[in-house]
Amino acid sequence: MSESRSQACRRIIFGLSLAALFDSFAAFAAEDVTAILRQADAYRRPAGSVRVEVDVELFRQGSLDKERSYTIYTKPGRRSVVLMKSPSEIGQKVLMLGEQFWLLMPDSQRPLRITANQKLLGEASTGDIADMTWSEDYQGAIVGEVDCPEPPSLLPELARTGKSRRCTHLDLNAARPGVTYSRLDLFVESASRMPIKADLFVGSGKRAKEAWYGEKTTDGQRRIMSMLLLDDIQTSRHTVIRYRSIVPKESPDELYNPAALVRNNLTGW
Amino acid sequence: MRKALLFFLGLLVSLPTISVEINFTTIVAPEAHLENKSSPYYIGPPTVEKRRYSSRQDLEVYLREGGLTAQGLARWQKTEGLSDDSSWQTAQLYYDGEFFPGLGWSIGRKVLSWGVGFAFRPLDIIQRENRRRVNAPPLLGVPLLALEHFSPESAWTLVWHNPGKGHGIDDRDCEGVALRWYGFSDNNDYHGVARVSQRHRLELGGGATTVIGDEWSLYAAGLYQRRNTKISNSLLDTALLFSTANPLVESSQKNGVNLVAGAQWTGSNGWSLLSEAFYDASAYGAADWRRLNQLTRGQLAMASSVPAGWGAANVAWSSQLFAAPNLVRENLLLRVSHDDGDGFKPYAELLVALRDGGLVTTLGGIYEQNRQKFSGGFRQMGGAGDSIFANTPEKRVLWLQWEMSL
Repeated sequence: MSESRSQACRRIIFGLSLAALFDSFAAFAAEDVTAILRQADAYRRPAGSVRVEVDVELFRQGSLDKERSYTIYTKPGRRSVVLMKSPSEIGQKVLMLGEQFWLLMPDSQRPLRITANQKLLGEASTGDIADMTWSEDYQGAIVGEVDCPEPPSLLPELARTGKSRRCTHLDLNAARPGVTYSRLDLFVESASRMPIKADLFVGSGKRAKEAWYGEKTTDGQRRIMSMLLLDDIQTSRHTVIRYRSIVPKESPDELYNPAALVRNNLTGW
Repeated sequence: MRKALLFFLGLLVSLPTISVEINFTTIVAPEAHLENKSSPYYIGPPTVEKRRYSSRQDLEVYLREGGLTAQGLARWQKTEGLSDDSSWQTAQLYYDGEFFPGLGWSIGRKVLSWGVGFAFRPLDIIQRENRRRVNAPPLLGVPLLALEHFSPESAWTLVWHNPGKGHGIDDRDCEGVALRWYGFSDNNDYHGVARVSQRHRLELGGGATTVIGDEWSLYAAGLYQRRNTKISNSLLDTALLFSTANPLVESSQKNGVNLVAGAQWTGSNGWSLLSEAFYDASAYGAADWRRLNQLTRGQLAMASSVPAGWGAANVAWSSQLFAAPNLVRENLLLRVSHDDGDGFKPYAELLVALRDGGLVTTLGGIYEQNRQKFSGGFRQMGGAGDSIFANTPEKRVLWLQWEMSL
């Protein structure tokens, strides 16, 4: 009786130890993924408040079809304002506060609340150009280490990685609602954590786009300064996003109130 | 008009010295209106000249510099049976200033849309807009003085609009003092409005929008008006059948309520469905139309007994009531649209008159290129044979619009 009791105790202790070990391993793995994503984010956007100037080129069957320009202000706490700068869209703004989104039209004093899916609509989704922090939006696991995928030849600045470079493959799921894509299959260079490629999946589980990241050294730092988006739905078209400038810029808090933003032209700001 | 044009030209000349954002847009918007000759309200030439074809050409200048916004429109309008018309309109010219962070002021002519809704926005108490019009021209702002206060999750606006205009000739022209509150929290937006004006006395309204998940948005708004106005035929209040002058007058009723409620679903595949019910107390009710139909039938029946032209003129006057934004009070709008992610956005709409089964079907689309935007569509009025929509003097509308931004 006492022997079987001590055996049971040993089993319980072993089980608890295993569970604790598993938990700490899982926590370590999750922390590891977050650390990788933070490093990858640093190539996309410096920490703190920034102003980003973006040019978007939309190609159809290899020919330039449309050009769009945006200025984006972001602030810690997942706050962003996207200003449309192209002649056909000028004056339009999209405000993103965490999972809340508003569209502001130039001829109205009314902030229009929009859903996450409405934010995705249009030729260049505001999510594609403004969401630049994976570490706050996604969590997941490391799938493994693989040869870095070969980029398409559509964008010259995409580095040919060659098979000598190894990539860490991450399977990421949205950590919060309202994130542009519900799942990412992300490849970052193992040595540097530089983003190379991501498969972007929408809520239905379908892959919507394939994103390739182009790096450039600016001010002595390696940065993601371009992005190629291959559309899985409109297969004849692709989008090139070029970050013209990414500079630290402290934007006032009142900019992030929809009613206040409506009346602010932000010209020369 | 000349002064405003000179002001704009002066502003353009001074542009090189200041950092300014300026845009030019040309718009060509032709329309074809096909008449419904079987409508009792259809009156053709010589009483009413045919106005089947028209085209509006606008050159829009939009400039922004700091707190200054100016929007001007040079317009050339061509309409069948009318001589060409050209005009200059200052759609907006205002300055937004700030006393200190969180407290701002505005002065000038400004578009002030506040409403919640798609086809009908009861809370647009200052900037009344015909949301059902096709090929709508840019909105014209309202002269105002405003004070605005912002806190992190709310905003107050106090507006004195159309100073010195008093009762005004229409809703957009009347003087009033309005207070608007806007707030948001989590997935909800809240709107509240109050206004005091000679035209409507007291108005109080509120609305909310909520977003559910990635796909759904629900909204509702309501406005109480101590006094609401509508255009009606004064013959309906007399025993007379004919009038020798335009009998349409503005009448007012006490305690009007305007309501809207809607739901919109947008999928990640670009499809969007919208359903919106709205009630417009300033539109004609079923009883109003019944009486007007009776009067019109009587006028047509007796036309040969009165001096030539009286019958046609009286019916033509009544037919002007079809220019109202909403022809009936109880409406349901169903809309399906798609965004292909490549600039093409087709849509189909069905407006149902809930009381009499009238239908307005609209098919349209927008195609955006780099700097050009093409839009167009087709609208057909119909539904139950005795419904108002089936008896409008206009049966179909066809429109196109080409827009080029420079």
